[in-house]
Amino acid sequence: MKLRNNLPAIVLVTLLLGGVAWSLTASRLPPADFTFNNHTEIKTVDPALVSGQPEGRVINGLFEGLVRLTPQERLPVTGGPEEWPGTAERWEISEDQKTYTFHIREDARWSNGDPVTAEDYRYSMRRFLSPITAAEYAKQGWYLKNGKKYNSAGAYLEPGDRVEVELNLKPGEHETRIGQLVKGVLVRKDPPEMPEDEEERDKITQRFYIDVDGEERCYVIGDASRGDEIPNDAEPCRMVTLDFDEVGIRVVDDRTLVTELENPTPFWLQLLGFYPLFPVHRGCLEEHGAPDWTRPENIVTNGPYRIGFRRPRDRVRLVKNESYWNKDNVRLETIDALCVEKSTTSLNMYMLGDVDWIEEPPPNLIREFMNADPPRDDFNPAPQLGTYYYKFNVERGPLADKRVRQALALALDREEIIRTAVRGPQKPGYSLVPPGVVGYTSPEIPHSDPQRARELLAEAGYPGGQGFESLEILYNTHEAHKAVAELVRKQWQRELGITVTLRNEAWPAYQDRLRMSQFDVGRQAWIADYNDANTFLDMYVSDNENNQTNWANDEYDRLISAAEAESDEQKRAELLYQAEEILLDEVPLVPIYYYFSRNMVKPHVRGFYNNLQDFHPLHAMWIDDEPGVVNEYMQGAER
Amino acid sequence: MQNTGPQPETPRIGKSLWSDAWGKLLRNRLAVACMVVLALVASGAFLTPLLPLQPSDKAVTSRDFEPPTFRHQPSDNLQVRRNDEVVPLTLVVIAEADAKAEKVEQQLADIDSGDHERRKRVLNSIEDVRQRPYLEAGFTNMGPFSRWMTRMRLRIFGNWSIPSLCGRDSLGRDVLSRVFWGARVSIIVSIVATLVSLVIGVSYGSISGYFGGTVDGVMMRIVDVLYSVPFIFVVIFLLTILGEEQTKKQLAEYGIDRITIFYVVVGAIYWLTMARVVRGQVLSLKKELYVEAARAQGAGQMEIIARHIVPNVMSVVIVYLTLTIPRVMLFEAFLSFLGLGVESPDVSWGMLASEGLDVINPVRTYWWLVVFPSIAIGLTLFALNFFGDALRDALDPKLREGR
Amino acid sequence: MIAYFAKRFVWLLITVWVVFTVTWILANNSPGNPFTSEKSFPPEIEANLRRRYNLDKPPLVRYTLDLGNLVRGDMGVSTKQVDFTVNELISLCWPVSAALGLAALAWAAVVGLVAGVVSASRRGTLADLSLMSLATVGIALPNFVIAGFAILLFSFLIPLLPPAGWGSPRYLLLPAFCLGAPYAAYIARIARTGMLDVLSQDYIRTARAKGLSRLAVIMKHALPTAVIPVVSFLGPAVAGIITGSLVIEKVFAIPGIGYSFVQSAIDNDTPMAMGIVVLYTILLFTMNTLVDAAYTWLDPRVSWEDVS
Repeated sequence: MKLRNNLPAIVLVTLLLGGVAWSLTASRLPPADFTFNNHTEIKTVDPALVSGQPEGRVINGLFEGLVRLTPQERLPVTGGPEEWPGTAERWEISEDQKTYTFHIREDARWSNGDPVTAEDYRYSMRRFLSPITAAEYAKQGWYLKNGKKYNSAGAYLEPGDRVEVELNLKPGEHETRIGQLVKGVLVRKDPPEMPEDEEERDKITQRFYIDVDGEERCYVIGDASRGDEIPNDAEPCRMVTLDFDEVGIRVVDDRTLVTELENPTPFWLQLLGFYPLFPVHRGCLEEHGAPDWTRPENIVTNGPYRIGFRRPRDRVRLVKNESYWNKDNVRLETIDALCVEKSTTSLNMYMLGDVDWIEEPPPNLIREFMNADPPRDDFNPAPQLGTYYYKFNVERGPLADKRVRQALALALDREEIIRTAVRGPQKPGYSLVPPGVVGYTSPEIPHSDPQRARELLAEAGYPGGQGFESLEILYNTHEAHKAVAELVRKQWQRELGITVTLRNEAWPAYQDRLRMSQFDVGRQAWIADYNDANTFLDMYVSDNENNQTNWANDEYDRLISAAEAESDEQKRAELLYQAEEILLDEVPLVPIYYYFSRNMVKPHVRGFYNNLQDFHPLHAMWIDDEPGVVNEYMQGAER
Repeated sequence: MQNTGPQPETPRIGKSLWSDAWGKLLRNRLAVACMVVLALVASGAFLTPLLPLQPSDKAVTSRDFEPPTFRHQPSDNLQVRRNDEVVPLTLVVIAEADAKAEKVEQQLADIDSGDHERRKRVLNSIEDVRQRPYLEAGFTNMGPFSRWMTRMRLRIFGNWSIPSLCGRDSLGRDVLSRVFWGARVSIIVSIVATLVSLVIGVSYGSISGYFGGTVDGVMMRIVDVLYSVPFIFVVIFLLTILGEEQTKKQLAEYGIDRITIFYVVVGAIYWLTMARVVRGQVLSLKKELYVEAARAQGAGQMEIIARHIVPNVMSVVIVYLTLTIPRVMLFEAFLSFLGLGVESPDVSWGMLASEGLDVINPVRTYWWLVVFPSIAIGLTLFALNFFGDALRDALDPKLREGR
Repeated sequence: MIAYFAKRFVWLLITVWVVFTVTWILANNSPGNPFTSEKSFPPEIEANLRRRYNLDKPPLVRYTLDLGNLVRGDMGVSTKQVDFTVNELISLCWPVSAALGLAALAWAAVVGLVAGVVSASRRGTLADLSLMSLATVGIALPNFVIAGFAILLFSFLIPLLPPAGWGSPRYLLLPAFCLGAPYAAYIARIARTGMLDVLSQDYIRTARAKGLSRLAVIMKHALPTAVIPVVSFLGPAVAGIITGSLVIEKVFAIPGIGYSFVQSAIDNDTPMAMGIVVLYTILLFTMNTLVDAAYTWLDPRVSWEDVS
């Protein structure tokens, strides 16, 4: 055999072997002190841009708000460093419960050594509420005085309002910078109202006439450098908003910050301890721009950890932040957050000890684990503030009839759904607000009654389901949702004789169809953002974007807004109760079950507690290697 | 094809080629076994409603995850509920429903033909009433022919059903019947998709190969370019675009559902290889003497393609078919894994297999949920592949002398 | 030869353009927009986002802008992982998939070829039948079923390998085995058929008649020709396998690009989808070109003029 003839073959083989060898020496990391499965790839570590639990876990480790919440009950921490409070060492609340004055601790530092100041919080709040940022959780800032008005750009501006115009950035400047600000008083808007529809909006250029130091100027939103047409008589700008000085957040001095609220908001401190309102470092953002500022080598954080390593679809490695004011209490040097999506894969890794905490074992094993004898020392499901429900599009054919919706609700057998489809410890749900909310007990929707359901359906003109157009249940692709949908379909078919089909969509398409009300029956679940009935009931006022059912009830809207303004706890709860009664009688949605957390945590993990919001901050956890001792909170009950 | 020699009468050649191949196939014991398996699977799928199986959509939730058993239980049988009592599904029950449906149908005469809304509603109720006993027993929506087969089954076997030989799934549905009903969807999908690819591929390939020259060059370049389109992408995008609610409703009025879209799309993608194979075959065929002879006799181009070229490419095409069907089936399984496959209450093998994957875990494996669908898929694809090989061997003259 | 590659390069550009256009049209017409989340935005903010993603412009303008960015090699920022540009995501994830793919292909090619050749040279024997049956099982079962059982077997029953993850060579073995299995099966079958074709040729019989040993005939004369169909199968397969497999990467939690390949389409992450499509097209085209080039080396009868 001649060498020349076989040269390509030799090259090929060498390449293949080389490739494999290279893959075998792929980058290796020493194992972290603590590894958990964060379930999905996080969208970003920017606190302002996210709304998911996986992102929340990482951000909670990286940044720190004015307030921290206890890992046990998720209530504001007020004690010393061992209790682990937030950046504010103390605060005062005014008599009318609308003004909070925060005193920031002296030793609070960013990871680059800069002190954490009140201005950092004001800057971060401005960025969070700015319409340019498009924060998903922006509503959390609407409790601030004028927060909603500032966040909604031009929508609610009225002549006479003090406004600020942010001019376009210079070419080459990072998007994260704030453009030059021009302040003035709004004279008029032309047109005063913008249409709701996106495509209609695109055709119209809204003009803002603003009195700047006695001179009337006209601004339009647009930028010639991206090809927008700018009318000759107008100046281009990035955004017109309410003057941020009008918003209820004020810097008194470097270490004193005041927030003023629209209404007395009993959960304001909880919100400040929730990751969307955590601060970011202005210098870091403006120097590197997005997305570069989030790189491990660039990012500046003020929490117990910083990013050590990050590989998309693999892991975020958190390493201890040596500049953190409370670093003496940080016990885990490194933490890995993995993003394994398949629940079986996740369980496999947990069982072989590669992972210390997984969020949820595969649904069909939950009962197996719960009934284990002796009880497991790493699995103890606990109630969670969340409700799983189906909502109806009340503009769709027969669903417009309240009796039909009531019939559908009455035909459900929740016990069977939990036993067969959910297969967990969850409890049947008869209200939108789950039990466990402080100072509130829900009314209940009538329990299962197929006989009554059939009567109602007959009254509505569909005896025995005859002539009933088929209904489609929309859910997002997931094995657990599919099982529930299958069973609901069977139950409705069995009890009412109607035809039901299923439709699964990937998350974005599912969200989109809900948003555009393109569904008959839609699956939804809501987990409390804070421990209050309002986080659930507020969703079904007629102009809330999350309502999506086309259901509107004036009395309901009135009760909810009355509750918002009410400062007496008792009366407020009463108003909310009345509102929920209306909701459950009108049935724009039918509750199915209340959530339970299903964490599996290795017995050597400490500082992991069960709580109503399934909130498990990383900073509180540590590893105890002493053999035979287990985490009592994860000890399964004897059954 | 040297052995057949140049002869003007093409049909005879074809015939001898085919009968020869048939003889060889019959001598190959493995090929015969494969043919038997395929025939069984196909007729099983076709005749499913006639077999004494449990309904595929009957959920007995109290019997979830029941392991395979030979023991017959009353809830295995076909049953409906009458006034809160469980009674067997009988022809009488069905006849009652049909009679009721006819009564409703009489209302139709009274409705003004312009009143579409009411007409539609009455038509819906007729269908509802007629399907009712079947749905109650746990069948999915069935066409008239399947309903007829079910009635035949009631005549032959009564409401008795085979016990859950393959166990039950998470909702307590019978796995055996789900495998059978799944076969119907999987087989139809893969055959239709393959046929679509066949029609496009063969016509495109033979035209390109026959005309040759610039036409061939351009047509093959188009194929080359299309080859580079990542088609998983195209399928996903098309399924989402066409699944959009408004579009879906419009399509549904023409009777087009997700499955139809699926096999048209898949078929429209798998034709590329087919076109290439056929073109290559045609290129060599048209140099054959009998084609020259036909041309000399003044036959038109289309006639030559249809009468001489196409029949002769058939051998390659059939072999290719037996190898494409398995690929489409696996593709359907892959889409089911992604949640883009058929929608419940319909069921397909891919869906069963991907449901089965969820129960493979070290703690507790409900093995019957994955093993039986896998056997069904595996056996069918195995038989198709081997049969395809045997067919190729039989049709390939060169291999005659091979040891 | 240079003329051949130059010509192919021009075709590559045309192909990328066509593929880009087709995918662009599909991606921009699929329902749902890239920034939908559970928390809905008020219309003013939605309008702002639309401006940021240029969605307020007419389609043709957007197309031109996107095409311009492609030419500059700037694929934008993923809408689902906003901390990374598409280029970064590809450069971080693709090597992982490529490594996995190469490992899978290496074992698939070696095992497949050997099985195919052995099977062909012992045609009709029990060895042939069992090898081919095994190969057919590899093709006949969905990938995810094989993966599920392989994990049970090698991670739990015989605790040898980790069930999922990435980071050291041990993590590579199981997924590479599962990813390569169907390819090994295909290669075995193709190699067998190719070998049988060659073995019936006259020159092989001549060689045998000259008294050369069976092994020598197979290795020296038959194999190079028999390998041709395998090579033409490998071309597209390489492109496919090293752009990753969604199923395997999902089941084994591997941070490769295969997952994004499908997920970006499902998630409406248009920039990411476009980036991956372009990468895939370039790879596939390159591989096909190399395959054609390989014919000139493997088959002495084929010249450079023939392949172009």
